[in-house]
Amino acid sequence: MIEVWHLIIGNPVLNVLIALSHLLSGEFGLAIIALTIIVRLISWPLTKRQLNSSKALQDMQPKIQELQKKYGKNKQKLQQEMMKLYKEAGVNPLGCLWPMLIQFPIWIALYQAIMRALATTPENLLDLAHRLYSWDIVNQAIPLNSHFLWLDLGQPDPYMILAIIVGGTMWVQQKMTQAPAIDPGQQSTSRMMLLMMPLMFGFLTLMFPSGLALYWAVSNVIGIITQYFVTGGWGYLKFRSPFQSTQ
Amino acid sequence: MKQPKILFLVVIALLPLTLVSCVSGGTQSARGWPGTIVHDGIIYAGSTDGSVVAINSSTENLEWSYSIALVTAPSSFLSCGQTSAPTAIYGTPVVDRDIVYIGTYSGQVLALNMLARSQNLTFPQQRYGEWKWDCPIDNAESNAIVADLLLSEDAIYVSSSNGRVYSLDKEFGDLNWESKILDEKHRKLWTSPVIQGNTLYVSTYDGHIYALLLETGELLDWFFESEAGFTSSPVIDEDTIFLGSFDRYLYAVKIGSDLPMWKFPQEEPAGNWFWASPIVNEGIVYAGCLDGRVYAIEAKTGGKLWEFDAGNAIVSSPVLMDNLLIVTDESGTVYVFDLSVELEDEAAPLKVISIEADVRSSFCAQEGLVYIRGEDNWIYVVDIDSGEVSWKVPLTIEE
Repeated sequence: MIEVWHLIIGNPVLNVLIALSHLLSGEFGLAIIALTIIVRLISWPLTKRQLNSSKALQDMQPKIQELQKKYGKNKQKLQQEMMKLYKEAGVNPLGCLWPMLIQFPIWIALYQAIMRALATTPENLLDLAHRLYSWDIVNQAIPLNSHFLWLDLGQPDPYMILAIIVGGTMWVQQKMTQAPAIDPGQQSTSRMMLLMMPLMFGFLTLMFPSGLALYWAVSNVIGIITQYFVTGGWGYLKFRSPFQSTQ
Repeated sequence: MKQPKILFLVVIALLPLTLVSCVSGGTQSARGWPGTIVHDGIIYAGSTDGSVVAINSSTENLEWSYSIALVTAPSSFLSCGQTSAPTAIYGTPVVDRDIVYIGTYSGQVLALNMLARSQNLTFPQQRYGEWKWDCPIDNAESNAIVADLLLSEDAIYVSSSNGRVYSLDKEFGDLNWESKILDEKHRKLWTSPVIQGNTLYVSTYDGHIYALLLETGELLDWFFESEAGFTSSPVIDEDTIFLGSFDRYLYAVKIGSDLPMWKFPQEEPAGNWFWASPIVNEGIVYAGCLDGRVYAIEAKTGGKLWEFDAGNAIVSSPVLMDNLLIVTDESGTVYVFDLSVELEDEAAPLKVISIEADVRSSFCAQEGLVYIRGEDNWIYVVDIDSGEVSWKVPLTIEE
């Protein structure tokens, strides 16, 4: 099973990352950024679907507010009507989470690729020799330079700058896509989730090699930009909850 | 409806944590692969539990063992404390008279006196000529010593992961000189220097061979530059340096020249890196490759004389004993080639002996016996005549 994983995902990601590094003047940090862009391009159909769903949710807000006014006191009925509305519009309010789920295998592969490619111990360097393709571009890039800007890509960022960037950009991206909760009870859950994920990833940035955190940060920034242009604005970042407005 | 949704969100939030705890990143910690040497009937080797061990090759008994102090290492994820671990050893011990020198991954060079160690006295016993030298980190990620130490008449030369080469006084461990940082990009100097005349030659991962004045460490004008980094320590025969590169070629570089004399293979690159240093004997270069092949190459021209496919990566340098060439592959198979007979293009070994343990460290051969440290941390003594493991002994001493 592990060998299949390396054959299909692990080793290709590792070799592409090293090849990109060679093409980008030996800058491993730039290679990670380039790989992030490639991953985002590959996952574009999924992202587009999610963004369209998000846009549809925004467009539905007047109808949602109408329902809010109409069934404000009957929670169960409101829920039913809301679900009906979502179903009719073909929208899944939790759809924004799927692209993130899809990215988990890529994160794992990237994490392994960064650690393997930087080969911090002699054992890792020897292991790397067995995983490289026979491409000249790959072999000429070894060993890699682990330094990029102020970061050692194999180590966590000691200055916490990357943690703030990852947490901040994730919050903005989530805030742009996450539809405000209708139910006051759900609103606290929604608010908690909006904070939990950025805090979690900010915390993980302090633990993980900064190369992986760089992927998260760049991926978030690309997400914000595409979200801005596809949905035509800042989305829910500037949007007040219908519950708040009815109050 | 609400509860499953919250559950779903919690699962989503916990997935990154699962990622952290379940995925090791596929990396291996520094465990070490110390080599073996035999001197005056005693086998000296490092062990993966951070000890230097001396074993009598006649009686097969332990003469002495010295456990190098534990090093503190950051503990695992989400644990704030530090743990102690044995230091890793990659180099082969170097013996000069009654002193055994060893470099460690924790950045120390130790001079151990055989008598003091056999009496188990506190280290270091200065009256016995023992000393310890701590390599500075020097703003690098590490001060680890991975390469073999190099001994001259009155000094010991150390390549460090901080990118510098150091010359130490052999008797007292005082610093004679330190070189400038030779590899600014990677800093890691994991290859050993080599001496010829009054010059020290060092290869680097950024693809340079530098020449340093032996007395002062001053960089000489000549250096060689290659597009790819060098994997192996340089070996010198007459005025030519032989070494392996990350671009899967073996290079021959004439000292003073800007261009390689030849690269091997002459057409397509080999199947993998020439990780181990080659050896040169009577105008022939013998090189093991991580692609599992052993090559015999004409030193003057770079032309292939013969090759043998072992099928497993060759990590250790070959060894010569009289007219026998001894090669081990990573899976622990020992191949013996008789060089007194003319070998064909696809050479066949005289003997094939398995020790049934992986081999990554350098080994030695003497008087018909081959001394190999297996990755299982045992010393295997292979008798070439009988083609069998004559005896074996564990290096991990059980308390």
